[in-house]
Amino acid sequence: MSKENLNPVQTFRLREKEDRFRNPYFFLRILLLAFFLVTPFLFRSFEILDVVLKIIIFSALVASYDVILGYTGIVSLGHVLYFGIGCYFVGIFMGKLGWTSYSHLTLAFLIAIVISGILSVLIGLFSLRIRAIFFAMVTLAFMEFTFILSSQLRSITGGEDGISFKLPGILAIDFSYGKFLGVEFTGRLISYYLILILSLILFLLMLRFVHSPVGRVLQSIRDNEQRSIALGYRTYLFQVIASSFASCVAAVTGGCFAMWVCYVSPDSSLSVSIMLDVLLMVIVGGMGTLYGGIFGAAFLMITRAFLPKLQTLMASLLPGVPFAIRLSERWLFYFGLLFILIVYFFPKGIVGTAQEIFSKRKLE
Amino acid sequence: MNPKWRSWLPKLAVIVIFLLPILLISPKTYITLTISGLAMGMLLFLVSSGFSLIFGFLSVLNLAHGALFAWGAYIGFSAFSFINKWTGWGGSNSIFSNILIFLLALAAAGIGVAIIGVVTERLVIRPVYGSHLFQIFITVGAMTVMEELIRIIWGPNDEPMPVPLSFIGSWDIFDVVVSKYPLIVIVIGLILYLIVFTILRRTRLGMIVRAGVENPEMVQVMGHNIYRYFTGVFAAGSALAAIGGGMWATFVKSIHPAMGGEVIVFALVVAIIGGLGSMTGSMVGALMVGLSYNYVAYLVPKGALGITMLLLVIILSIRPTGLFPEGT
Amino acid sequence: MEAHLVAEPILKVEGIHTFIGKHHILQGVSFDVYPGKVTVLLGRNGAGKTTTLRSIMGLLSPSQGTILFQNQAIHHMKSFEIARLGIGFVPEDRGLFNLLTVEENFRVAMLQEDEGSQQRLEFILDIFPDLKRFWKAKAGVLSGGQKQMLAIARPLVNRNELLLIDEPSKGLAPIAIEHLIEAIIKLKEHTMIILVEQNFYMASRLGNDFHLFDDGRTVHKGQMEELVANEELKKKYLGISG
Repeated sequence: MSKENLNPVQTFRLREKEDRFRNPYFFLRILLLAFFLVTPFLFRSFEILDVVLKIIIFSALVASYDVILGYTGIVSLGHVLYFGIGCYFVGIFMGKLGWTSYSHLTLAFLIAIVISGILSVLIGLFSLRIRAIFFAMVTLAFMEFTFILSSQLRSITGGEDGISFKLPGILAIDFSYGKFLGVEFTGRLISYYLILILSLILFLLMLRFVHSPVGRVLQSIRDNEQRSIALGYRTYLFQVIASSFASCVAAVTGGCFAMWVCYVSPDSSLSVSIMLDVLLMVIVGGMGTLYGGIFGAAFLMITRAFLPKLQTLMASLLPGVPFAIRLSERWLFYFGLLFILIVYFFPKGIVGTAQEIFSKRKLE
Repeated sequence: MNPKWRSWLPKLAVIVIFLLPILLISPKTYITLTISGLAMGMLLFLVSSGFSLIFGFLSVLNLAHGALFAWGAYIGFSAFSFINKWTGWGGSNSIFSNILIFLLALAAAGIGVAIIGVVTERLVIRPVYGSHLFQIFITVGAMTVMEELIRIIWGPNDEPMPVPLSFIGSWDIFDVVVSKYPLIVIVIGLILYLIVFTILRRTRLGMIVRAGVENPEMVQVMGHNIYRYFTGVFAAGSALAAIGGGMWATFVKSIHPAMGGEVIVFALVVAIIGGLGSMTGSMVGALMVGLSYNYVAYLVPKGALGITMLLLVIILSIRPTGLFPEGT
Repeated sequence: MEAHLVAEPILKVEGIHTFIGKHHILQGVSFDVYPGKVTVLLGRNGAGKTTTLRSIMGLLSPSQGTILFQNQAIHHMKSFEIARLGIGFVPEDRGLFNLLTVEENFRVAMLQEDEGSQQRLEFILDIFPDLKRFWKAKAGVLSGGQKQMLAIARPLVNRNELLLIDEPSKGLAPIAIEHLIEAIIKLKEHTMIILVEQNFYMASRLGNDFHLFDDGRTVHKGQMEELVANEELKKKYLGISG
């Protein structure tokens, strides 16, 4: 295929491929990956490992949400439903049913993926046909209902208390292989790397998806739906495809999360507050850039981990008036205010706005 | 054939829901359940009508609506406690003073939240007109702030909600247990519905609001400052939710900061089923959900939630835009 | 060479640039509207005529240029303020409130429900008797032609000096268009009209002055009779021949 005979689209694609490695961000990302790989060796504290892995898991979740929000342009308020499905299948298989073996673990993941995919297709076909805003409301309703359902069906889901379980074989917490470079090879460590690899694969899959022909159609739908329809695309079908892809990814992240914390409950896997967290991470990190999710997740996880400490410090400094104590205690209040301010001043998200500033500078 | 179908559907649906359970439940229980179902329906109407009207008129998705509901309950709670401390009307046996304190507490809730609504609309909603996505983001933030403010002001724990003395208990009429409070809820709910209905249908203000639900731009072009109407409708819708909150709290006899989140989903479902932007739709949808929930809860305890979901699915499949069109 | 006599233009539009999002729709629109005349804005689809009307009405905010109505700057005013100054608007999609009755449509249009409005209403209903017949009916059940009548009649209940009408003949059968033309001829004496039309026949019967739009700019102006006779202009900017 000689360069002269390519049509404009092919030339564009080829150039894009070549530029991929010259992109300065690329090295940043490799660096980040390297960081994640050596974290257990850099930091001996489990707490930090925990925060880092949560960042990894939620980056993948937020990226999957960005696929539908940032790339396809549809708003879902129930995305965490699929995260919860992933959590629960792992939890139920390992915990309630006691099917603890590697193949069962894999089976749990696979079933969760299939069910998430089918469910999102159904919900999508149903509500995307009308108006996009219906999708937001219907998905919220479904997620809430599932939340309440899982609190009620004690026999299957363990109700509000949830299910605690153990992982099989080398993933189990108490497994130990011995030391390597001064770090003990526990089941924890192995789980960490397993989840890291899984998340990486998911991320690459998502990248592939948004840069594929399907992904480009999605972006055109996001930018100008009328025109896409005029071009002959049945837009809502594409939206349904994007939604089901994203939900399958979310299911896997859910399974990973369950694996790490070895516990599932409605509050930890299906609640609206997790959905709000995702929204917060997206607004901080920016939409339409899968990598923004990493930034958003990092922001949230780190503040979550350290704010309570700040809180106890503040409480010890202030007088004993209950109102004043509560005022300082409820950091979520300030979070909410901060959130509103961020939406107001940085509609493109912090990462998105930063990108805009940089590209404007470039033009000058 | 099609148009005729369509106008019959909502009436048919309500009839089915009303009558079908008679076949399965004994008449006496049926009456008790119907009353509590209607009461729940009224409460759902109060919460969802505000949401529906705000969406229909301002085209704004206000996810903080549930928080306003909670605020209504809490203000009502404080107002009640305050008035009761000074007058003892809540604990007295006189029906008259009970009703008085109850209505005063609800009025306080309504007015208080209306004020909060005006402030919210000006500060939080105005900047994001036109973008549903940003409305979602910013109202989620507002919801968090409002909920946390409740925790800061009143504390994070559940509180028992005081109930006026004569509202407690029930009457025994021909062997049928008729609870007192649900009846009161039904009456108050109906009165409020009639008030809103009359304002919308018979006043110039209501006429302009109905016009604005159809075409806000055109109303502007005709010389009306639609932004004033936006603020007003937002405040009114929030006030309705607040009154609903006060009455709901008295119904379940407790308040807690997260109560908004629980109810918002039902409000959403009712609003969607009834048709966004339609008052009548909210009423019909609310009654449907309230009644079906109660009947099924009796017959199949865990299935009550399922029936609500089922209703949503059925209605969305047949009439995706809801039972009633905007502005009715 | 046209010679406009002493009369001052009631509306002066100068050098308007309007953006819709990123798109630079109006790239320099200028024209004047004189009392006692019907001014027609002509041009192909997408030339910017509707955007111009919307800019005048305050629904879009021009990024450059001025609009003066009776020597008052209105280009930064809000729509409802502009309406109160005495400008009425009949949009392309008619903007009717279909769920409201014909009566209610009029009442919403009234700035004040007073004597003056009532008198004007009676006058209007004389010109458009159909609307009287359907007074209590929902606007949505009217025929296409009747809807257009209602759309044009509505803003007239106020003392409007200027009426902006956007493509009224769209979607109407020829006989309905005739009715419409007769109605507008009667209205001409009471209010200034800016008409945007694709239908050249209608434009030529009603218009006194014309302005041609192309690519977001005003490119030519003159008296209607000139344009009717000028094949070259018609072909170039309107794509019609004969």
